[in-house]
Amino acid sequence: MKFEFALWYAKLINTAITIIDKERGSNLSGEKAMHLDPQMVEHFKGIDYSKVIFITGTNGKSSTTNLVTHLLRKSGKKVISNLEGANLLPGIATILSKEASLNGTLNADYYIFETDERYLPLIYKQLPAENILITNLQKDQVQRNGDPDFIYRKISSFANNKIYYYLNNDEPRSKSFEQFSDKVIYYGVDQNEKTFTKDATYPTEACPKCHHALTFKNYNIDGVGDYKCKHCGFSNKAVINYELHDIDYTNKTFSIKNTVFNMPYALPYMQYNYAAAIALCNHFAGIELPALKTAFDDFTNIGGRFEILKYKNKTIKYMRIKQENPDTLQSTLDIIASDPESKMVCLGLYPLMDFVPFYTNSFYAFDCNFKALTESNVERYFCFSTQVAYDTANRLIYEGVEQDKITTIETSDVKKIFSEIEKAQTKNIYIVTWLDTFDKMEKYLKEVE
Amino acid sequence: MTYKIGWLFPDVLYLHGERGNILALEKAAKAAGIDTEIIKISLEDPSFNPMDFDFLFCPPGEISTFPVIIEYLKPYTDALKTYIDSGHPLLVTGTSICFWGKTITREDGSVIKGLNILNVSAEEKNDVYGDDLYYETTYNHTKMNIFGNQIQMHDLKINDETPFGKVIYGYGNTGHSRNEGVVKNNAIFTHALGPVLVLNPWLTESLIKIMAANKNTPLDHFKLNTDLEAQSLESKLAFIKKKDTTLKTYFELED
Repeated sequence: MKFEFALWYAKLINTAITIIDKERGSNLSGEKAMHLDPQMVEHFKGIDYSKVIFITGTNGKSSTTNLVTHLLRKSGKKVISNLEGANLLPGIATILSKEASLNGTLNADYYIFETDERYLPLIYKQLPAENILITNLQKDQVQRNGDPDFIYRKISSFANNKIYYYLNNDEPRSKSFEQFSDKVIYYGVDQNEKTFTKDATYPTEACPKCHHALTFKNYNIDGVGDYKCKHCGFSNKAVINYELHDIDYTNKTFSIKNTVFNMPYALPYMQYNYAAAIALCNHFAGIELPALKTAFDDFTNIGGRFEILKYKNKTIKYMRIKQENPDTLQSTLDIIASDPESKMVCLGLYPLMDFVPFYTNSFYAFDCNFKALTESNVERYFCFSTQVAYDTANRLIYEGVEQDKITTIETSDVKKIFSEIEKAQTKNIYIVTWLDTFDKMEKYLKEVE
Repeated sequence: MTYKIGWLFPDVLYLHGERGNILALEKAAKAAGIDTEIIKISLEDPSFNPMDFDFLFCPPGEISTFPVIIEYLKPYTDALKTYIDSGHPLLVTGTSICFWGKTITREDGSVIKGLNILNVSAEEKNDVYGDDLYYETTYNHTKMNIFGNQIQMHDLKINDETPFGKVIYGYGNTGHSRNEGVVKNNAIFTHALGPVLVLNPWLTESLIKIMAANKNTPLDHFKLNTDLEAQSLESKLAFIKKKDTTLKTYFELED
């Protein structure tokens, strides 16, 4: 009865939250109910584990989960998914409690869960999914994750041959999970107009198999591309199950297995989410490519990284980054650099304030290549934020930017940020910062309007 | 004159933006009118002679990579000792301190034998501790304070070795004492990782001066402009003085 009490308690909270504020509660009911039954997720009935997939990794798991869920639903499948984004065990308990009958029975064609990579072993213990998609395993959230190997050990701790792995062929750590199972599907992206190289001063990374250095011939996105270990021969496969080809950013199309798709978002990192989603929906769910192609056309990503604000005569293009994550910062810099128009670039890297102790890390900026940005017609740079604004300015100076081209203000006051933006001659403004500042800017604009 | 800077295994020890330290050294050397040659030392290099270099930099990496690094460096242990004993500057940051010591005990209980150049031993933690790190030190006869970030994956027992710094704020070697890192002649082993030479140009300046002195071309009056970094430090000190922490702080001692 412990499970039933927990379930009913969760349902009660879910109902209350729906009445108060539908936007909240992606985690709360599960968290509370798990006090009554800590093994709650394990006790739901009717789940076929071969129909459960965990989508995990450093970057891209939310967008991939959104896209997979969209594609399956458009194909008429009943899908249970944690689209609201709570990707720990309580978040999964919450969504299952919402979808279950009063006795805890679930009925869906597929269960698609975005799962936090660090806590995946705990989730797997209660919900032994037989399918896992790994987007990539890269440097991220070092304050809690330390280094990629720390996460690698977590995910590999329960690896077994019963699991079907969907692996990113172009990202070494993801690809190396092939060693744990005979059941592997590879996805990836062919070289394209956005493929780039890095100069030799940028480190690559250690081979996940032998720990010698990997060599990258080129990158499609940072840390993801055409690689080989000269010591043990570990490399991306030449021929894989699902690879995007003919990527055309101008016409926003790509092809896969001779079917041409429209890209909902013409961004390099999204190509991997497309490849992953197509691999899953086609191989795992058996949806034919023409049906997927149609479903692609009306996909809208939830909580994407880009927003536009209008302020006086300026167009402010907000680009969200994940702090402590060089790959999302690099992607953002590359996108800005690809705009040849005159522009102002506002960089608001902040101290880390996720949990105590807060700390002043902005060192990931030195993993990123700012060269293309500095050569892309930037009228002025504006470095703001608390504590690390000077370090951000210094990073630009180390890339060769003249100090008098940079305004540095130690502030998070949005009025001061807008005031600085107003001074720009160009109307084309890019702002790279965390969500908190963007939310305040958006709120401020609504108030002044 | 060209200074040879050896960058140990950058594609294996690749964490935390440490490339910034190489840029800082190049920039400081240039300001002193000195050319630099950056040489990446690779596990595939057929041989390695530490004495070929004016400075060696060893950034942090994943502990899983240490056995292959130790295996490569083992034949050069005596050469590395000679390098340190002769007063050549070396900077080792973060986790990489561990493999210069006697042993590394991993979370699963397995033990990696280190290079045994330092009389220290490391124990991998089962969690990560990330925070700011601020300490005082005297290096090259100059008293200075160092600010950096610490991503601590291990505790370091330093036995009879000399700590490099005295912690003012931060975790240091174990989180339970004021000891931070180790110093042996001009070789620095510190947990302040990331671009520590960018954030602390006063340390970079000392390193350049040591290199110059080792070449009998002293740079006694060489001074970098550190205005921007000093502003950054001031801002961060105000931040760490008032932030929530579970650690003991020693600002009162500094004051």
